[in-house]
Amino acid sequence: MATSAGRGLVSHDTQKRLQRIAVYLTALLISVFTIIPVYVMVVIAIQSPATTFAGGRVNLLPTEPSLRNFLVLLGSTDTVRYFINSLVVTLGSTVLSTTIAVAAGYGLTRFDFTGKSLAARAVLFSYMFSPIVLAIPLYVVFSTLGLLNSHFALTLALTAISAPFCIWLMWQYFQTVPIALEESAWVRGASRWRTVRDVVLPVARPGYISAAIFAFAVAWNDFTMARVVMSRDEMYTITVGASLFLDRVSIGWGETMAVSLLISIPPFLIALFLQRYLLQGFSVGGLE
Amino acid sequence: MATSIHLDTVRKEFRTLGNTHVAVDDLSLDIPEGSFTTFVGPSGCGKTTTLRMLAGLETPTSGTVSFGDEDVTDLPPQERNVSMVFQSIALYPHMSVRENIGYGLKIHGVPKAERDERIDEAAEVLQIEAQLEKMPAELSGGQQQRVALGGAFVQDPDVLLLDEPMSDLDAKLKSDLRVEIQRLHQELDTTVVYVTHDQTEAMTMSDQVVLLRDGELAQVDPPKQLFDYPNSEYVAQFIGMPSTNVVDCAVEHRDGETVLVGPGLTLSLPAGVDVPTDGRVRLGIRPQYLDVGSAGACRLSVDVEVVETLGTESVVHGRLEDGTPFDVVSDAVDDAVAGDRLDVSFDLADAFVFGEDGETILFGSERASERSSSPAGAGGVTP
Repeated sequence: MATSAGRGLVSHDTQKRLQRIAVYLTALLISVFTIIPVYVMVVIAIQSPATTFAGGRVNLLPTEPSLRNFLVLLGSTDTVRYFINSLVVTLGSTVLSTTIAVAAGYGLTRFDFTGKSLAARAVLFSYMFSPIVLAIPLYVVFSTLGLLNSHFALTLALTAISAPFCIWLMWQYFQTVPIALEESAWVRGASRWRTVRDVVLPVARPGYISAAIFAFAVAWNDFTMARVVMSRDEMYTITVGASLFLDRVSIGWGETMAVSLLISIPPFLIALFLQRYLLQGFSVGGLE
Repeated sequence: MATSIHLDTVRKEFRTLGNTHVAVDDLSLDIPEGSFTTFVGPSGCGKTTTLRMLAGLETPTSGTVSFGDEDVTDLPPQERNVSMVFQSIALYPHMSVRENIGYGLKIHGVPKAERDERIDEAAEVLQIEAQLEKMPAELSGGQQQRVALGGAFVQDPDVLLLDEPMSDLDAKLKSDLRVEIQRLHQELDTTVVYVTHDQTEAMTMSDQVVLLRDGELAQVDPPKQLFDYPNSEYVAQFIGMPSTNVVDCAVEHRDGETVLVGPGLTLSLPAGVDVPTDGRVRLGIRPQYLDVGSAGACRLSVDVEVVETLGTESVVHGRLEDGTPFDVVSDAVDDAVAGDRLDVSFDLADAFVFGEDGETILFGSERASERSSSPAGAGGVTP
């Protein structure tokens, strides 16, 4: 379009206008593929199937909101248990992954040790693995240890997926925290631990909140690991549980969309309240 | 309680990727208690490394550092009663100004009431009372630097270390803070060690200036002494603005007299001056000591290239006939323009003679004071 070849042929104003149109078109296209599915999900979730399919077609303009689908979920499925399972492993893995990331990031930027650059490269390399690559070996490990079907095992598995990126993020973030801040605290008499508590952690907060959000998203949306580590119905997470609904005759579109809506709520809340930190943290990580 | 500081053959090496870099080499130095000592030198000369060794943030590779009689070489920073102001200012962005200043007191368990009292006092001295409840990001650069100073001296340290605290400030603020820091030093019972690459700061503030070169001590002296009796060409050129002019000269003997011959310049040395016969020396003369005209004993011609007007006086940047750069500071060159040839002169009493190794052989002023049989100010360096 308005590339270097076209310079001089298209006026500056026109170029700007074209640029804006391109941006809006892209935004529109993306919205079509994200907003419409979300809309469809919400509408189907809050109408009874009878309303949705009234008249032999799919009605996507809500006329009679109802909680029927949610009541069915509560009454005849293990949704609540799945949801609790998800919360437990997600929380555990988020805390674990973030803690590891903060410790590793601090260590990688504040101490010199042999093999440091190798360690850093290994972290990035391990991030390249797709979860499914790790799934079977992890299954073997947990099976040997007798840890299958435990929240603990799934927490570890999820941490294995999210930790490399979180470590990398914190490593980058700690590079932007001036060491003079810590030195100034030491000179004033603060021990290393006290300095970490009083100075390092507060200053690194945007970084570790970003890491935590990432770890949360990985764990909450995970399907692969839960599918592999958990084989008993009562241990499934909400994602695995919801996928099973599709196979059941008694559960229709309405209930499936209702459970999808439930799955979306925690990430939505997090995005709503923590997006300020998310942007700060990732812009430092060079991911703006 | 202010303490004296002693460095004994201190050496600091940094190893990176198999390379060893010597940052400080064989540095021995005494800093009197309660004094204001400035470390000055170009970047990479080891001045900040030395300061960090005083703070305990670096450990010497060899040698010892003592505060008074106590060997503190291996003591961590937490166990030395020092305060430090960093070049980057290093205020805690998540703490208010009050908390920033009082952080050290809090660490030492000073009760809140006393803490607040001392913070208020410090803020009053530094004129930042109105900023106490603000966050550092809301302050100007000068105010931030005052807060950093406040945090450093509120702890009543034995030694106050300042690492280029003003390098990021503008000229006006610098001159304000210079006065402020000196006033603080007078009020406090503390030994101040100040690091800067700015020789104006070193000259105006210090009791004692330590000039470093490539990690080694070049000269330690009070500012005036350093200016009048530089022990080497390096010192003479580093101290003073613009730099001391240095001219290559041949040593000749004519009729029993020792004569220096340079580009457009012949200068008889008085008897008894020991210069290497048939060698070469370098003649140093400060731009401020040159007179326009031919009043002085030694005359030179300068081809004018650039004239900078400073108000009452002007700086002429020019070259001698062989191309040696040569500056003149005078209030009598207002009408000089590029391309002019300017006749200037000076007295031997205002010149230095450096040997080929850069060591000072002769301080003109010393020769002059001998002649007027006044023994005052004999430099501490034997010619």
